[in-house]
Amino acid sequence: MLLTLFGVSVIVFLVLRLLPGNALTSSLGVSAGLLSHAQIVALDHYYGIGDPVVQQYFSWLHAILTGNLGVSLESRTSVASLVGAAMPVTFELAVVAMLLGLLIGVLFGVFGALRPGRAVDVSGQSLSVIGLGVPSFIIGTGIVTLSAAVFHYFPSSEPFATLTSNPWLNSQQIFFPALTLCLGIGAAIMRTARASVLEVTGQNYVRTARGKGLSRHSVTWKHIFLNAFIPVLTMSGIQLGYLLGGTVIVEQIFVLPGLGRLLVESINNRDFPVVQSVTMIFATGFVVVNMVVDVLYAVIDPRIRNRST
Amino acid sequence: MTALAAPALAPGALDAGEPTAGHQGLLRSLWRSPNGRAGLVLVGVVVAAAIAAAFGGTPYNPLAQNPAALLAAPSWSHPFGTDQFGRDIMSLSLDGIGVSLEIACLAVLIAGVIGTIAGVIAGFLGRWTSAVIMRVTDMLFAIPAILLALIVVAALGAGWLNSAIAIGVGYIPIFVRVVRGPVLTLRESGYVMAGRVLGFSRRRLLFRHILPNVAGILAVQVSLALAWSILAEASLSFLGLGPPPPTASLGEMINQSASSGLAGIDWWTLAFPSVAIVIAVIGFNLLGDGLRDAIDPRTRKR
Repeated sequence: MLLTLFGVSVIVFLVLRLLPGNALTSSLGVSAGLLSHAQIVALDHYYGIGDPVVQQYFSWLHAILTGNLGVSLESRTSVASLVGAAMPVTFELAVVAMLLGLLIGVLFGVFGALRPGRAVDVSGQSLSVIGLGVPSFIIGTGIVTLSAAVFHYFPSSEPFATLTSNPWLNSQQIFFPALTLCLGIGAAIMRTARASVLEVTGQNYVRTARGKGLSRHSVTWKHIFLNAFIPVLTMSGIQLGYLLGGTVIVEQIFVLPGLGRLLVESINNRDFPVVQSVTMIFATGFVVVNMVVDVLYAVIDPRIRNRST
Repeated sequence: MTALAAPALAPGALDAGEPTAGHQGLLRSLWRSPNGRAGLVLVGVVVAAAIAAAFGGTPYNPLAQNPAALLAAPSWSHPFGTDQFGRDIMSLSLDGIGVSLEIACLAVLIAGVIGTIAGVIAGFLGRWTSAVIMRVTDMLFAIPAILLALIVVAALGAGWLNSAIAIGVGYIPIFVRVVRGPVLTLRESGYVMAGRVLGFSRRRLLFRHILPNVAGILAVQVSLALAWSILAEASLSFLGLGPPPPTASLGEMINQSASSGLAGIDWWTLAFPSVAIVIAVIGFNLLGDGLRDAIDPRTRKR
């Protein structure tokens, strides 16, 4: 995991540092041309632009590992404070969206697969086509437009309220973006859950369980559901990547002051220290959650637990 | 006995590349599955629209502004209505679909070629090369694809080619993973072993025995990748990081409509570009599903 994150940091660093346009000209804009040579050298030195690339990389790595994310070129405040303010918003959004997605996906997937071709299954399947095919920015724009034009309801127009300061407004502001995000991941989880439950239902041990007279409830939840859950878990881990990518777009639509919005703003301002940090945070979150997923396999499945010990 | 008889076989008799009945019936079984048929029809519509736009077959010049018909509602002369500059939305949408498809194809070409080569190398060659490639893939995979595309565009600057590169880079790890698995299995399969015993060169084994068997999986993935790329391109241009104007772009149209508040009243400025994207994305997704059903008999039963 550490190796992966190390690699990610190298990729992010290389992509953003080695390609054209340096931090100095982008932060000063046109006025960069007015600087004297001595000033350019001094500023280059200040930002560390003149150093060899490898040295730049390691000084950056050292800095982020010691909690110093650098200074935003645009707002001249510390990146850590910008990120610290934005992170809880994205975290809340991602958690709510993931839970909603799991709820929708597992419910429709499991109940659909238990009675294939019936109403629940068909509505679940059609929902999954929509969830996979309609991009989140279209769903989001649709929700914003409809709620504003038809219902004259726009919770996003008010300044963002934190969960502690105004829980009611906060939940309204988070719910619709989370709903937008959850459809896509819900659809993917639903397909996996459905296929997995169908596969498990055909296994001999399920027939045996039914044959020895266990209640339908017990067969469904203890024999089918638990065995079918591992692929669902894997899929949820993968979907987190799409979810994190989706927050970037959805936060833009619903004007949430989260990491995604910060990222797009900093890309437009060519504020590389912020872009680097936010990308690293997203990647770290993704890697850590997938590691947790690996651990959960063992919690759910005793076969995996016993194999590893 | 069989071992002795083997060298007497005609050269190429063991090669897997010959078309079989299964290959010939691909289009037919694609058409027979509901997913495949819907996918073929929708993709057909999208490709036709793109070709029409490429050869100037749009009803109006997509960029021509008409001050006499600002924000005109859908009518016979403007079936999809016009936008705030009086541009015909149908022409803009057709043009936008064309641009989307071009960028998506180039992106998938980049991802497909690099990803397949890396996947085949990782599956077919030695342990070391494989380990290195898979490590790098894991690293790329750890950055959400759309995010990777965002930072690549941020670094390269917005543009037609840069969008394609950015989107392609994000999809490379998926191709690597999808190709490597089957190659690993095929390498140990009976007929590749047989070919090896017969002294076939690595190149022959790779191109005539292994790659044809990966082609099906690859076709499915190409279709799904196209769907994702169209979606990613629209997302990038929605965020204002797509090809700069005057290139027509569906994501940009949606962003314009939504951010200017037009969408609530002049609904057609939002609805038609959205429908165009949705048709393209769902079409390629369904085509991919249909291809998978047609190729893999195990899923066909369900």
